[in-house]
Amino acid sequence: MNSSDMIRAVDLGKAVDTALGQLTILKGIDLEIKESETVAIVGASGSGKTTLLSLLAGLDVPTRGKVFLGPYEITAMDEEERAHVRSEMVGFVFQTFQLLDSLTAIENVMLPAELKRDPDAEEKARELMARVELSHRLNHYPRQLSGGEQQRVAIARAFASSAKILFADEPTGNLDTRTGANVIDLLFDLNAEFGTTLVLVTHDERLAGRCGRSISIASGMLVPEGAGAPA
Amino acid sequence: MNVRLALKLLWRDWRSGELTLLLLSLVIAVSTVTTITLLVDRLHKALLLESATFLAADRVIASGEPIDPVILERADALGLRRAQTLSFLSMVFAEDRAQLSSVKAVSDNYPLRGTLIASNEPFINGFVVDKGPAPGEVWLESRLVPSLDVSIGDTVEIGVAEFRVGKVLIKEPDRGGGFSSAAGPRVMMNLVDVPKTEVVQPASRVSYRYLFAGDAGRLDEFESWVEPHLGEDARLFGVKQGAASVGNALDRAERFLLLGGLLGVVLAGVAIALSAQRYSLRHYDHVAVLKTLGATPSMIDGLFIVIFLALGTVATLAGGAIGFVVQLGITQVLSPYIPVELPPPGALPLWLGMVTGFVCLLSYALPPLLRLRATEPVRVIRRDLADASTTDRLTYGAAVIGTLGLMWWYSKDLYLTSLIFLGALVAVAVLSVIAYSLLRSSRVLGMQAGSVFRLALAGMQRRGQQNTMQILVFGLAIMLLLILYLVRTALVDEWRAQIPENAPNHFAINISPEDVAPIRTLLARNGIASQPLYPMIRGRITQINGESTRAGEGGHAEDEEEAPGPRASSDRNLTFAGVLPDDNHILSGEWWAEDYKGPPLVSLERDIATRNHIKVGDVLTFTIQGRTLSAAVASIRRVAWDNMQPNFYIIFSPGALDDFPSTYMTSFTLPPSKKLFLNELLRDYPTMTVLEVDALIAQVKAIIAQVTLAIELVLVLIMVAGGLVLLASIQASMDERFKQHAILRTLGASRRTVMGSLVVEFCALGFLAGLLATLGAEATVYFLETEIFELEFQFNPELWLLGPAVGTVLIGIVGTLATLKVVRTPPIAVLRGL
Repeated sequence: MNSSDMIRAVDLGKAVDTALGQLTILKGIDLEIKESETVAIVGASGSGKTTLLSLLAGLDVPTRGKVFLGPYEITAMDEEERAHVRSEMVGFVFQTFQLLDSLTAIENVMLPAELKRDPDAEEKARELMARVELSHRLNHYPRQLSGGEQQRVAIARAFASSAKILFADEPTGNLDTRTGANVIDLLFDLNAEFGTTLVLVTHDERLAGRCGRSISIASGMLVPEGAGAPA
Repeated sequence: MNVRLALKLLWRDWRSGELTLLLLSLVIAVSTVTTITLLVDRLHKALLLESATFLAADRVIASGEPIDPVILERADALGLRRAQTLSFLSMVFAEDRAQLSSVKAVSDNYPLRGTLIASNEPFINGFVVDKGPAPGEVWLESRLVPSLDVSIGDTVEIGVAEFRVGKVLIKEPDRGGGFSSAAGPRVMMNLVDVPKTEVVQPASRVSYRYLFAGDAGRLDEFESWVEPHLGEDARLFGVKQGAASVGNALDRAERFLLLGGLLGVVLAGVAIALSAQRYSLRHYDHVAVLKTLGATPSMIDGLFIVIFLALGTVATLAGGAIGFVVQLGITQVLSPYIPVELPPPGALPLWLGMVTGFVCLLSYALPPLLRLRATEPVRVIRRDLADASTTDRLTYGAAVIGTLGLMWWYSKDLYLTSLIFLGALVAVAVLSVIAYSLLRSSRVLGMQAGSVFRLALAGMQRRGQQNTMQILVFGLAIMLLLILYLVRTALVDEWRAQIPENAPNHFAINISPEDVAPIRTLLARNGIASQPLYPMIRGRITQINGESTRAGEGGHAEDEEEAPGPRASSDRNLTFAGVLPDDNHILSGEWWAEDYKGPPLVSLERDIATRNHIKVGDVLTFTIQGRTLSAAVASIRRVAWDNMQPNFYIIFSPGALDDFPSTYMTSFTLPPSKKLFLNELLRDYPTMTVLEVDALIAQVKAIIAQVTLAIELVLVLIMVAGGLVLLASIQASMDERFKQHAILRTLGASRRTVMGSLVVEFCALGFLAGLLATLGAEATVYFLETEIFELEFQFNPELWLLGPAVGTVLIGIVGTLATLKVVRTPPIAVLRGL
């Protein structure tokens, strides 16, 4: 592995059993993403881009191939060990925000640090909430926040774990254009500030255009660069 | 284990209302169980105490002669309290009057249980006194005062001693105890005065009773030690053996309360399981998010175990406290109707209730929570992933083991536990198949119905598996309630029938043959209902098929290890009859013809036949008034000892006892207002003896009323637990309904249509559940009544209307009310949360 590679996938494949036989979702994926790089994974619906994201992040296990995150080969680990790696290295932003609705905004942001028993969880969460301009919404529940506010809380939470890699799945998919643009600005600003490696899955060409590099995927395979415009 | 984080998460869940239902069902479950356990314990203790007043003690040794002092020393060593009575018949003289009386001499600490009531005038209510007559003093029963024409302060003579009449005796607790004590009006004196009367001589016919009271454990220890030390004529008994009428009622009430407790536990468990299931379903997403944030599976286990323990502790403590208070409240409210003071609640039942609560939690709530560890983190991206299996072995296994363990612990009867448990398993299997088929068959019906019906039935079928489960749960809850209701009704009816309003409350014995006709006339003239007159002759079995019944005489030795039952060799009252007495049932052999004139035959009661290995066809030799008589056993009977009628162990065929001079006995019903008639009767026929059991019957009735009250209380509590299960089950399907109806509303279904479909769906579920419940209840009650409660089973046609009707109405109302929120919530609020 190249020392500057933050993420590397080797011959990655995923197949699932269905009633109609085995369905191949991904096959023969090889890719490297360097530290601090910003990468967009683009492709049509059903092309396998979300599956690729979940395999790279260690949320799911491939049926073949290897994934390395920093120094770790997460495909050789069990769920317990993968969770440790996620805790140490990975942050997430999801299309559906995935805030815990029984927790207030600040409690959601505190959660990653609390899982690591960080005694300064609250202080860090306050700073991040200020950074996403939600200091006035600390004790609101997710259902009391707008979609854009919820996504900003989710971004604050993603950075709260001091992650080295941030995975974002359609981060603007549930937001209107204007709100989406604001959220994206925030995401890229924070990413630059923390020096994080950013991998995001999107349909949005403008969003993909803000990334340093785009990886296109079609029918479960990488589309070689220059072979065609992303869908 | 990150305890702090777990507690924080718990607190945050609680604050947002996520935990309310789970905690509520836990608390209600624990408090129901605690309330039942506490009430059952207190009522049980109270019943035993109250019943003990029948004996004036917890245990009694009755004997024809003084018992070995070693026994009394043993009782003292065990810390038991004891008292003694000595009863005998004697003439009591006052001036020129005399009356054969039943004298009872009592020690200073008599009675150990119950109270003595005395007064200064006859025939009034009187007051409680804490001990019997002082030396030199006698107390006379009301009827004796006019009969001897004495008043308080006058002198009467018993034997060669003179006594001052100190009080009128209104009530003594153990009045019902045996013939000699109830024969003739009572005179009570102090035990220390007996020698100076010189009435009691060696070989006098007297009855010694040694009374013991104390801690239940010590009493049991004493009982097992004392049995082998008793002489042939002595026997030891507690209230259950001493008073069959009360003993049976107590036994059945205990079993009922136990059954009630068990059903309560099962219902509470089901409620907990349902709430925990819902809690974990709602937490799959939470856990997936936690996992993406780096929580490991073991960390998830740790978090939820801490949450579980904290919930369990809070629920158990709160439930225990609430159960305690509720139980106090119930007894407070009911205190005017409970004739005795309940003993204070002990710590043990409280502890039992709380342990039960925790075991319920462990077996019903922990498995669904532990399943959360298996949630896949990728679920945060792909919501379509199935939830971790909700039907895995862990859940069922834990619930099965937990329930079995609790049932066994409660009943201490593995046979009963396994039977009930297997029955329940079979019932659940059969019922789920039927429920599923019923659901499927309603599809045909649904096709032709209007839109509200189609919507409702389509909804029911779409969630086929879930609804089968729900019908089962509803059905189970209704079934348990029906079972309890049926058993209770059967028990209470049986008890009412046991002592009918006009049950004979006086027995007349020692009636000479020439007095039979005039006494019958006298009773009829006074409008007093009486039973047939039975001849009565004392005698004993001396040989069975030619072998002696006395141990050590080289003959038919009695096996002391055998099941308890009357010995063949003791003196018994013998009678003859042409017609089988009421409440007697032939178990083997045949009853003779009414006009039978052949060689002597005899019919034996079941217990005496079993204890002494006597079968139909055996030849018994009796010694009666110094002569012998042989008779073949024609039949074995079952006798209802608790019916307050003249009952006999041994009945001969007509004519068999003609050669022996006999006296006669009968029983009659004398209302309190005609009590003085006894004086007239006894004055005209001074040789006869009247046993007054009216006080005893009143006492039995009071106890039965109490037992009835106790089981009704438990029934109500179980109903609360059943209602909780219904609510929890409806709540469990709430999320699904919210979604479905929000979508329907946005598609243009009116609020009315949605509401209508909900009502129809719940009524249909309720109907099916009620039908299944009836089927299950009928089958279970058949088994319970015939096997456990020894009652006659009766088919209950009304149940087949009642069950489905109750199901439809109850589930319809509860379900609709509980889901009103579904209709009232604006669809957008639901859809945004999807």
